[in-house]
Amino acid sequence: MHNSSQPRTNASSATGEPVIEVRGLAKEYRVFDKPEGLLASVTGLFNRKSRVVEALRGVNLQVEKGEFVAMLGPNGAGKTTFLKLLSGIITPTRGAATVLGSVPWERTDDFRRRFALVMGQRNQLWWDLPAAESFRLHKEIYRIDTPRFERTRDELVDLLDVRKLLLRPVRDLSLGERMKLELVAALLHEPEVLFLDEPTIGLDVVAQHSLHRFLAHVQAERQMTVILTTHYMKDVAALCKRLVVVTEGSILYDGSLEQIVDRFTSHKIVTLDLDAPPDPAAIDRLGFPCEIRGPQVILRIDRTRIADVLPGILRGQGVRDVSVEDVPLEEIVAEMFRSGSTAGTDGATGAPR
Amino acid sequence: MTSAASDPAPSGFLARRRLGLRVWWTMLVICLEERLVYRGDFVLGTLMRFLPIVTQVFLWTAVFGATSSGSIAGYSRNDIVAYYLLTMVSRAFSSMPGLASGIARSIRDGSIKKYLVQPVDYVGYLLAARIAHKLVYYAVATLPFAGVFLFCRDYFPPIPDWTTLGAFTLSLVLSFLLGFFMEATLGMLGFWFLEVSSIVFAYMLVQYMLSGHMFPLDMLRDIPTGVAGVSVADVVRFLPFEYTAYFPAAVWLGKVQGAELVRSLVVEAAWVGVMIVACRIAWWRGTRRYSAFGG
Amino acid sequence: MTRYVSILLTFARACLVRDMTFRANFVLECVTSLGWMAMNLAFYLLVFTFTPEIGLGTGWTKAPFFAFVATGMIINSIVQALFMPSAEELTEMVRTGGLDGILVQPLDAQFLVSMHRIDFSAFANGLVGVGLLAWAIPRLPQPPHPVAILLYPLLVVCGVAILYSLVIMLAAATIHLGRNQSLYDFWFYLTNFSRYPAEIYSGPWGGPLRALCTFVIPILLVVNVPARVIAQPLTGQAGMMVAGTVFAAAAALVISRWVFQSALSKYRSASS
Repeated sequence: MHNSSQPRTNASSATGEPVIEVRGLAKEYRVFDKPEGLLASVTGLFNRKSRVVEALRGVNLQVEKGEFVAMLGPNGAGKTTFLKLLSGIITPTRGAATVLGSVPWERTDDFRRRFALVMGQRNQLWWDLPAAESFRLHKEIYRIDTPRFERTRDELVDLLDVRKLLLRPVRDLSLGERMKLELVAALLHEPEVLFLDEPTIGLDVVAQHSLHRFLAHVQAERQMTVILTTHYMKDVAALCKRLVVVTEGSILYDGSLEQIVDRFTSHKIVTLDLDAPPDPAAIDRLGFPCEIRGPQVILRIDRTRIADVLPGILRGQGVRDVSVEDVPLEEIVAEMFRSGSTAGTDGATGAPR
Repeated sequence: MTSAASDPAPSGFLARRRLGLRVWWTMLVICLEERLVYRGDFVLGTLMRFLPIVTQVFLWTAVFGATSSGSIAGYSRNDIVAYYLLTMVSRAFSSMPGLASGIARSIRDGSIKKYLVQPVDYVGYLLAARIAHKLVYYAVATLPFAGVFLFCRDYFPPIPDWTTLGAFTLSLVLSFLLGFFMEATLGMLGFWFLEVSSIVFAYMLVQYMLSGHMFPLDMLRDIPTGVAGVSVADVVRFLPFEYTAYFPAAVWLGKVQGAELVRSLVVEAAWVGVMIVACRIAWWRGTRRYSAFGG
Repeated sequence: MTRYVSILLTFARACLVRDMTFRANFVLECVTSLGWMAMNLAFYLLVFTFTPEIGLGTGWTKAPFFAFVATGMIINSIVQALFMPSAEELTEMVRTGGLDGILVQPLDAQFLVSMHRIDFSAFANGLVGVGLLAWAIPRLPQPPHPVAILLYPLLVVCGVAILYSLVIMLAAATIHLGRNQSLYDFWFYLTNFSRYPAEIYSGPWGGPLRALCTFVIPILLVVNVPARVIAQPLTGQAGMMVAGTVFAAAAALVISRWVFQSALSKYRSASS
């Protein structure tokens, strides 16, 4: 175990007990380029060109028991690689990690009985058989005794309201229904740690919503430690207090959902509802970046100046209503992805390591 | 290698141009690149194809060792070795891995639809792709083939005269066409049956035995059918299969000569014609059925 | 151990349920593989119209030879039913990342990989093999020795073990290569050597080939040893042969286990 376990402050449900510790974790792949063109293919017969791709470049992370952490990042940022390392599917090039006190890639049975991995794009259930059969197999593999198995299964199945789906072949189910059953399967052995890799990918709004409710409930009830990777801010907002942003194999930000707004934006969005469409020249004179939509004016105002500026604006004629909001999370994160590696050096200075 | 028939070129690409020379060239280059990417598989795969022959040769050697006569059905032991090697050449022309199953799959998953709306002839496209694949295959496989044949040269009779060589070449080209149109027709059964893989497998079984791939068909000459004076070999000769393996090899070995050779070539060409027509009819009726029932 | 047995039974149950939901397909598969068998038998019958014996003085006349063929059918059908479908699926699992799901489960990965799919239709050939053996045994020049009857099942199991080791090593190769369409081809070509009595491999080329396929890749022990024990008179060499086969089977299992484990450690997982 590592000696520097600093208690986190911003995760309220955490108990201060580190469950996942990751230090300097790096994973490199050697990929062989397919040469372009015929001549290159022929010469490629004799010496294949390869290059090293750094999927993860020395990541540090500490997660405590009961935390629900979201990992956000563009495609190819290394999120899935990170989860695969923590699940022991692949071994790292450098660095160390412990999950529940075990080194994942040693793949001891004891460790593997205590966590679960759900991948949104992959199917763990038997395709041609009813999910009940897969559950039965799961019971054997994870050595769940019958009363406990039945209790957990019934509880999960009722929570998701999928009892009537249990006896239908999985191939006949919709994506959302299948995902629900995947989750039930993953939770049958009551894992202490759950890794979710894009669980909501391709789901409709209703299915997403019911998954959110379910995950939030089960996580709170069992005090499960969860890491979720996703592309959807909705997932993050509904489930997680802690957010980790990854681009190009490095952690760009690690902290609370609220703080990311403070740290990465300098302004707020002020929306004014006017009686009538304003004179653009008058709005320009205010000196802020703005957008006019009919009788509505949207201004971006520096956070530190809001208190000084707002009264003046409101005194202006015909202001019926005003709202002051933070920049939407999507926008912040998209901006972070864009600025990517350049922000990586100092962007996460405030985040606890 | 089932990729040939299953991954058609991008639809936009085909929509814009007809099957011109450029398309052929592009296809050829892509095929060659594809082959070269998997070169490890390829060289090993080509050489491995000769392994079953090794077993067959040892088996027949043992059989010859236990019989007093030096010839079985007109074949000496050396003839048998040469025969098996030559059927490998025939099969290199006539076998169409993945063609029927590829067509059936594109019918099943609906990707055939795009050939119904595009100004391109599906069979023509498949033929072009197959020719490209075959050419590439020969370009790369000639070396291992030549190596094996050189190594086994003592088993062969003297190289035949030019007429025989010409007939041999013609029989190979015809066997390619025959193999192609037989399998394409088979694949189009997918318009009527959901699952044609079993049919394809049954076809392969029959083909394996009756094409002469398994043993020289002359060996069936003394097997009676029950009808007086008619042997199994006589029945097999009325089927198209023998042209895909036995016939070219028999031509090279001088088993078929003179008027018999001309007659056989004409029959082979006729079979190709029959299969082209069958394939057309299957395509025509199949697509009509397909659009009527909405796939 | 009991846990592994109960998991195996669960797999078998699930596969049977699956096969029975696609009953027509199941029947078709049985029929086609029986067709293949029938064709091979027809070929052997044809061969025996030209010769009384496969190889002069080898003792492989018609009845012993068909006992040999039957043994091959039994062994191959067991391997085809239990291991081949899973090994073939491994290629697919490596490509799609399905192997990830297996690696996170608290169970021996090799066990899961090699057992999770069972093809019951492949047992059809085995049944035909048993029938053929029952036909051949009373027609043997001499009845099998009682010891031979006891040894036969053990040697069949050894044959299965050797073939299984080959399958699992080939499957491990697919983890390395990331793809292997020709796994089945390679398997076919390799096991092809075990289809006939070892005696046919003689002469300047056959001798070394026989040695190679006996001592390096013990493919010639698979069918030959059990078939010889049951169909030919027991000689003084029989003890050596049996001991060698048991040893080869054990060694093959150990080596293939090592190969599989080291392949897993290099597994890089499909990118998603």
